[in-house]
Amino acid sequence: MATNDGLKRIVLMKKMISVLLSIALVLGLSSCTKKEVSNDKVLNLAVSAKIKGMDPIYANDLYSSNEVARVYEGLLEYHYLKRPYTLVPNLAESMPKVSEDGLNYTFKLKQGVTFHDDKAFPDSKGRELTAEDFVYSIKRLADPKLQALGWWLLDGKIKGLNEWRDKYADQPKVDYTEEVEGLKAVDRYTLQFKLAKPFPQFLYSLAMPFTFAVAKEVVEQYGKEFINHPVGTGPFTLSEFKQTNKIEYTKNPSFRKKVFPSESSPEFKHMLTDAGKTLPLVDKIIVNILVESQPRWLNFQKGRIDYIGIPKDNFDSAVIPGKGITDDLKAKGINLTVTPSLDVTYTAFNHDNKLFSNEKLRQAMSAAFDPVSSNKLFYNGTALPAQSVVPPGIAGHIEGYKNPFFGQNIELAKKLLAEAGFPEGKGLPEITYDCPSSTISRQIGEFFKQQMSKIGVRIKVVQNPWPELQKKIKNRTVMLYGIAWGADYPDAENFLQLLYGPNKSPGANGSGYNNEEFNQLYKTAAVLQDSPQRTALYEKMNRIVAEKVPWIFGVHRQSYVLFHSWVKNYINADFNAGQAQYLNIDVAAKKEASKKL
Amino acid sequence: MNIWVYVLRRLLYVVPILLGVCLIIFVLFNVVAGDPTHLLLGKHATARQMAELRHELGLDRPWFYQYFDLVKSAFTFDFGRSWSTKQTISTMISEGALPSLTLTIPGFVITTILSVSLSLLVSFYRGSFFDKSSVIFCVGLMSISSLAYILFGQWFFAYYMDWFEISGYDSGFPNFIPYIQLPVLIWVILSIGPDLRFYRTVMLDEVYQDYVRTARSKGLNEKVILFKHVLKNAMIPIVTYVVIQIPFLILGALLIESFFGIPGLGGITLNAINSSDFPVIRAMTILSAVAYILFSVLTDVLYTVVDPRVRLK
Repeated sequence: MATNDGLKRIVLMKKMISVLLSIALVLGLSSCTKKEVSNDKVLNLAVSAKIKGMDPIYANDLYSSNEVARVYEGLLEYHYLKRPYTLVPNLAESMPKVSEDGLNYTFKLKQGVTFHDDKAFPDSKGRELTAEDFVYSIKRLADPKLQALGWWLLDGKIKGLNEWRDKYADQPKVDYTEEVEGLKAVDRYTLQFKLAKPFPQFLYSLAMPFTFAVAKEVVEQYGKEFINHPVGTGPFTLSEFKQTNKIEYTKNPSFRKKVFPSESSPEFKHMLTDAGKTLPLVDKIIVNILVESQPRWLNFQKGRIDYIGIPKDNFDSAVIPGKGITDDLKAKGINLTVTPSLDVTYTAFNHDNKLFSNEKLRQAMSAAFDPVSSNKLFYNGTALPAQSVVPPGIAGHIEGYKNPFFGQNIELAKKLLAEAGFPEGKGLPEITYDCPSSTISRQIGEFFKQQMSKIGVRIKVVQNPWPELQKKIKNRTVMLYGIAWGADYPDAENFLQLLYGPNKSPGANGSGYNNEEFNQLYKTAAVLQDSPQRTALYEKMNRIVAEKVPWIFGVHRQSYVLFHSWVKNYINADFNAGQAQYLNIDVAAKKEASKKL
Repeated sequence: MNIWVYVLRRLLYVVPILLGVCLIIFVLFNVVAGDPTHLLLGKHATARQMAELRHELGLDRPWFYQYFDLVKSAFTFDFGRSWSTKQTISTMISEGALPSLTLTIPGFVITTILSVSLSLLVSFYRGSFFDKSSVIFCVGLMSISSLAYILFGQWFFAYYMDWFEISGYDSGFPNFIPYIQLPVLIWVILSIGPDLRFYRTVMLDEVYQDYVRTARSKGLNEKVILFKHVLKNAMIPIVTYVVIQIPFLILGALLIESFFGIPGLGGITLNAINSSDFPVIRAMTILSAVAYILFSVLTDVLYTVVDPRVRLK
């Protein structure tokens, strides 16, 4: 009987195992994922955030603006191969005529530029772009009903535009036919802007996706769904848009004759092999939305993504400090490019808090903070410690300048703290440090706390959801807060405005710093065109903030990007929205290199 | 009581429950979470723009109007548009539900079949080395973080061994299959520990019942005892456990979807939370509440099917 039972159990067990094996087979464990390299020139990209949509007026983040700029175009663009950043005409025929008072800008448009074919146009044939399209597109940016995320760019800048916006704020419908004094289509191909006050950075606005040309018929045809139906004049047309997964573009067959530049800065001379070739250089772009860094990194190593910013967690396995990339990556033909970003990280004092009107206290805390260790801990030692607010790469940054209160100098910090009236921190209340709720922000906060404890300053780290932190900053209820700023355009004014008194929160000056001398210099510089005089003023302001310590400066980050040997003309840049049209893929090289991956 | 009357009465409970869910959501987002306009307008937001946006979104209206809108959307399922992506939420849900289900249904079905079968097997071998090993195995599986399985699985099976796709998704059958194989495998590994432990307990409860001893003394073979008697009697806890998990299948798997680039509802929810996209979070919460209520009614009805002794009152 016992034997019989045993046999039955064995039979039952065998059946169970066979079920398990069948499931394993269904799962297809033996499937192989090797793929043939396509003969088409396909650019495979990955982005780490979901795309907000394809409407230029909402493209306020890096990812959305890159996508928008594949389809839409503006009057100007940055020269692809020149540094410092230089504006050149894109849809404009030439650079504008600017009146002597710097208030009137007249543009001539390129003729024969057409929108992509779409059912919104008669016979579904894309019509020619005219000056009226820019008038319409810029009015859309100002339309109070649309709540455009780029309105700040032209707020108060164009004569009559604010009045037009205000007029329709409380009315049910906005009248686009009503003329705005400072925004006119003089004829089919001539566009005129009249500024309300001198704004030397105005031309940068016209290279930003917010001001790119859209066609009225398309906006009206798709209504609220316009955000999913981009129809521009750009080098690519959208063929598939899955906002949370994948975006595909194909070469615009009716793209105007635009060629790869034949001039460059010395560092990009090697890219001139494509000079004179018709753009775009690739047939198709596939953008994969991969929020997590591991799949991006693994896909890059398999050659399924053409270039990648090195994820923080993979940095040590990719780069040897001071030597470049690892031998393993070199053997695969992978290249590294390192570019300073136009940004600054900082810890801001709330200057409405009486405690921080004590300059010596601010200086003491700055001297106690160790940006070098912070750099090693949080940026893999790749960032550049910030001496002041303006980052390297733009006029106003002072090469070789040393901030007198640059840390870590504990001896100086203790001395300054005593002079401030708080020897060894005695009598100083606990200071709260507010930061966003991410892990890295908390770690930076804890590091700051530990640094300050060395001179007896007690810090309490408080994490906040991002809207809550912003609310606290706007309502002036913070004491200290850690944050960063990235440039909107390559001009020091974009950084210095963060410390201009009249911009006090709820404006851009979140810390509420107000220094009369600085304010005067800013006002003078703000109306000057790029010139040695303006640079001297920027430098002076840069020194003032280094010495007066309205913030404790952190670092200017650098971006480390790896790209495969088959990707040609890759340049890492802060302002590269239209870059995809200049990139090239060497299919033969890709086939060869893929064997090693 | 007629089953349909019972179902209708239970469905009527949806009304007060949804009102309560709406109230909780409303308090959480309108009182606790603060003003989302800064996040929506970005770093250049001005006080005026924020006020204009609040007006546009209706956030400056009296609270009872806002609460009424919330309740209305819960009953009409018209959730409007996402604040951050400007897409219609119903489209986002309909497009995200399928990818989520292509991952979660196979994972769920395989896990349930496997764990119920294995639980029968271990209860058959109760007290043996095999049974003890299975308990240790379950505890071991459960002790490791889900992230570890995902990171290792993706690196080893997809990247190093090249057996599966690293990430991505193609819609339409059978295009999606290569992309869900590894995520499903990881789902099974993640779920089998707790499921097997649960079903084992259920089966062992039954195995020691008098009727099993009676069946054995009558000379019935073990297969008949296990499949015909034990499994049938264990169906009530199994049905409860299985059916109540179904609503969560629609909502997807947050981490797995995120790491494997599957455009499901899990990823949409995660993104909405990160960007304070109140309408999307609201929609997902209401959707899960409704699904939960409906499936708990279904569970009750199924009790009567699997156990005729159960009467609905």
